[in-house]
Amino acid sequence: MSGRSVLRRIDWLTVLFYVLLVAIGWVNIYSSTFTDADASIFSFSSSHGKQLFFIGASAVAILIILALEASFFERFSSIFYIISIVLLLGLFLFGKTIAGATSWYNLGFFNLQPSELAKVCTSLALAKYLSDIQTDIKRGKDQLYAFLIILIPAILIIPQPDPGSALVFFSLMFVLFREGLPLYYLGIGFLAVLVFITTLMFGTVWISIAIALLLVLFFLLKKKRFKMPLLPLISFAIIAILFSLSVNFVFNHVFEQRHRDRFSLWLRLEKDPDKLEQIRKTIGYNTYQSEKAIESGGFFGKGFLEGTRTKGDFVPEQHTDYIFSTVGEEWGFVGTSTVVVLFTLMLLRLVYLAERQKNSFSRMYGYGVISILLIHYFINIGMVIGVLPTIGIPLPFFSYGGSGLLFFTALLFVFLKLDTNRLKEDI
Amino acid sequence: MAVKDKHILTRLYVVTAGLFLFAIAVMVKLVSIQLVDGEKYRDLAQERTTKMFTIAPNRGNLYSDDGSLLATSVSRYTVRFDALTVDAEDFKENVVPLSDALAKLLGKSSSHYQQLLRKARENKNRYALIARNLDYSEYMAAKEFPLFRMGPYKGGLIVEQKTVREHPLGKIAERSVGYERVDENGYYTRVGLEGAFGEFLRGTEGKRLKQKIAKGQWKPIGQDNIVEPKDGYDVISTIDINIQDIAHHALLKQLEHYQADHGTVIVMETKTGEVKAISNLGRTAEGKYYERLNYAIGESHEPGSTFKLMNLVAALEDKVIDTSSVVDTEKGSWRIYNHRVRDSKHGGYGKISIAKAFEVSSNTAFAKMIHNGYKHAPEKYVNRLMSMNIHNELGLPIKGEGKPILRYPGDKGWSGLSLAQMAYGYEVAMTPLQVLTFYNAIANDGEMVKPRLIKEVREWDRTILGFEKEVIEASICSKETAAQVKGLMKNVVEKKHGTGHRLYSPNFSMAGKTGTAQKDYVSKDPDKLKYISTFAGYFPAENPKYSCIVVIHEPDKSVGYYGADVSGPVFKSVAQKIYANSPLIDEVEIPEQVDTKLDGNFQKYYAEAQKKYNKVPNVKGMSGMDAVSILENLGLQVEVRGNGKVKKQSISQGTDINKVEKIVLELS
Repeated sequence: MSGRSVLRRIDWLTVLFYVLLVAIGWVNIYSSTFTDADASIFSFSSSHGKQLFFIGASAVAILIILALEASFFERFSSIFYIISIVLLLGLFLFGKTIAGATSWYNLGFFNLQPSELAKVCTSLALAKYLSDIQTDIKRGKDQLYAFLIILIPAILIIPQPDPGSALVFFSLMFVLFREGLPLYYLGIGFLAVLVFITTLMFGTVWISIAIALLLVLFFLLKKKRFKMPLLPLISFAIIAILFSLSVNFVFNHVFEQRHRDRFSLWLRLEKDPDKLEQIRKTIGYNTYQSEKAIESGGFFGKGFLEGTRTKGDFVPEQHTDYIFSTVGEEWGFVGTSTVVVLFTLMLLRLVYLAERQKNSFSRMYGYGVISILLIHYFINIGMVIGVLPTIGIPLPFFSYGGSGLLFFTALLFVFLKLDTNRLKEDI
Repeated sequence: MAVKDKHILTRLYVVTAGLFLFAIAVMVKLVSIQLVDGEKYRDLAQERTTKMFTIAPNRGNLYSDDGSLLATSVSRYTVRFDALTVDAEDFKENVVPLSDALAKLLGKSSSHYQQLLRKARENKNRYALIARNLDYSEYMAAKEFPLFRMGPYKGGLIVEQKTVREHPLGKIAERSVGYERVDENGYYTRVGLEGAFGEFLRGTEGKRLKQKIAKGQWKPIGQDNIVEPKDGYDVISTIDINIQDIAHHALLKQLEHYQADHGTVIVMETKTGEVKAISNLGRTAEGKYYERLNYAIGESHEPGSTFKLMNLVAALEDKVIDTSSVVDTEKGSWRIYNHRVRDSKHGGYGKISIAKAFEVSSNTAFAKMIHNGYKHAPEKYVNRLMSMNIHNELGLPIKGEGKPILRYPGDKGWSGLSLAQMAYGYEVAMTPLQVLTFYNAIANDGEMVKPRLIKEVREWDRTILGFEKEVIEASICSKETAAQVKGLMKNVVEKKHGTGHRLYSPNFSMAGKTGTAQKDYVSKDPDKLKYISTFAGYFPAENPKYSCIVVIHEPDKSVGYYGADVSGPVFKSVAQKIYANSPLIDEVEIPEQVDTKLDGNFQKYYAEAQKKYNKVPNVKGMSGMDAVSILENLGLQVEVRGNGKVKKQSISQGTDINKVEKIVLELS
């Protein structure tokens, strides 16, 4: 395929969203790390200077990806996956520790974060496995393999520790559902989360009573329409109650205090308003400050480089995970809603692109891209505006970070490259 | 293929709807926090970007009685060099001139500084130390040096300012002036006057609201401080630096001569209890003497023979004896139970009056007097001592006052021997200042005043707090008893047989009591026996103005150890110096006399007084220090050659002062 046809066929709308997000992101990084007006924006010693360098590097990466054969990604996906697993394992020996997490390789001029690479490679590997003609996702054995592909990198990332990044991999389950994984997995998962949260909020006793009542109600109302066997239903209820019991144990003994505090804050478990305010200002300091920064922005925001809380460094890690608060303070509601709309449109566009793939590998990979971008977007913005507990993952294309930008770009553009090839059957 | 699954499209719609829902949820939240609550939070945000800063107050000055500075706060500067920020060319060009300038200012060689600067540059040292503790003028000079004048970014100059407490008197009275430190937990270490009057000196912190405008940059809000810092008050102490200076040097000289372990001098104004000088010197391992501990206030020890005064007063008040009672000193050794009381004079003094026994400091006479006088009612003796406030601390503002020990009959440690032992100053303990307070009370005809170190608390010229004399006991003994023992103390110095006769001077009168107490006498080893030499008294003998105590611990026995030899000369030096200054005191008293006695005759008196002081006095034979102070008080410029006593004065006695500019003294 010639370079010209790639340029003709590439989905320019997605590219436009990408360029806009990266550009808006960089402007906000510049603002949140701005110290001296005299310093050159190209200076490598400043964060925004470095980010500019990585934007350039991403452009180069895009060119390389687009120049490669589309089949290259499918053919070598298993090898990419193995390389990324090896790199994750290597961290235990050669990793560099930044802010308490051993998640990086020091390459001198920049720090490589292999968990970002693993997101791309796992999406590719999963798509490859599922698209195999032999694989049937309704089969238990294939389900197990698919789960393993997702779980292995996640398990390697958890002890770095970087639970946030590990969580991202579970979003790939979404691909499985798209491809026909029975919905009861989702049901069980949803129920587990519900029991977990409600147990924390109301206690095991009330939850057990509620489950028992539901069980009785179920029998009274529906025993004629459904012929549900009694035993499995009761055992299911018992398992739910046991799970509720175990929630307390896990919460009190497995979680660390900071995790407990985050949940206390999120679910407002602390009833005393003074203590809650105290937790907000200490444990929830980041979120508290970022919320306040966003709040202070108002409708139109304070203007570029005018954010007092941004310039005053009130929000820790503002140029990385909390970059959205800079948008909120300096560009106001206009800025934040623009970013949200851009992300939403981009994701919808990607869903559209995925669905139009003739080739199942491309479609499945497309859904992998969507799941990963979606969960980042969902968790990051939810965290920054305080509707979700603090889980430290970056906002794609937006947050400062070389590995992040590079691999999110690769993630997206591999899919766009596959998309240019959608009419060719023989990949 | 999975696409065939009929539910897939439904799932897709669910996903798309979920995405929309989330986007809408985020928008709703954003609307609520940015638009609805925004106004409220914007004010709050403003609040969070501001911070209260504290402004440290200036600590007050500590002054002596005559207005000289004892302690004050000054700024000191540490200069460092950021060797990396400087341009290669600027560095090359300026390193030599800068080193030359530094060498000139700081006294080390130019090459030293060149090496230092080059090394810093080589090692990329961004914080190389150039000089510490520069004063303001030195700092201003350094700021204008080549390279440094280019400022912090181009010139690499880093300056750190700190406030330090300066003692203009230096080592003199260092311990008494003291210090006050506060650690990060807010605990204070308080020493001496600085510690005692910290409440006044400290001041209160101010508060200033500032707004954060950028990383590490805060802009003050509004014109005024929220709370103005209040500088500390000045404290005027009672210390007279002239007397302090004499006391310090006289004590130092004597300590060095006798190689003593430590010693203390206190001078107190009789009528008011104002402490005019308090000097404490202790020997370091190298044999130098420094103000180390406040022995005068903190060290309680057995006073020895100076305690005979307390006993004599007690016995006279209780009419156990009178001064003419005769006691047999039993050939200088009196046996009581299994113990021997000995006199320092071998063979004793024969049968002598109590008066003489006091003057010669006979232990046997005192032991017999107290033992025999009180053996049937020892509590009467102790009660009498207590009525004279021997057993109480003075309650000084300076921390760490030593506790006096005075046993009561029946207490642990009390024995049949106790009365005889206490008779010459053992089995009791007092601090030098407590002993002096008693002697001062006798000098003051029985009125015991509390020693006092503070005169006034001031803010600029305004008196915040004045301190009056405090009376501990209006009368510790009858006027007659006081007069009697004062006579005896005068005899100690004036009578040939008196233990203090060596101090006698025909020029001025002194009264006092010697004491030579044994220390560590429990050990039988005579080499380990050490002495505490004391002289306590007052002057002038007839009309006491000052009382003074000198205590010297552990003088070298081979040089001497008697109170009169070791401590007496210090006392005499202090008395002599104050006499030398007395013209000044007389002058001050003139206006009082005008009002009362002289009235109309003042002009005549004044002319005469002026005439008297218009002539150069004869200072031949005086010690150099005294001569200089007398002549300088008359407004003359004095040049001194040599050491010792005045042999020659270039302008002879009787010359009109107004015609003289300078007088040269030759000492030998």
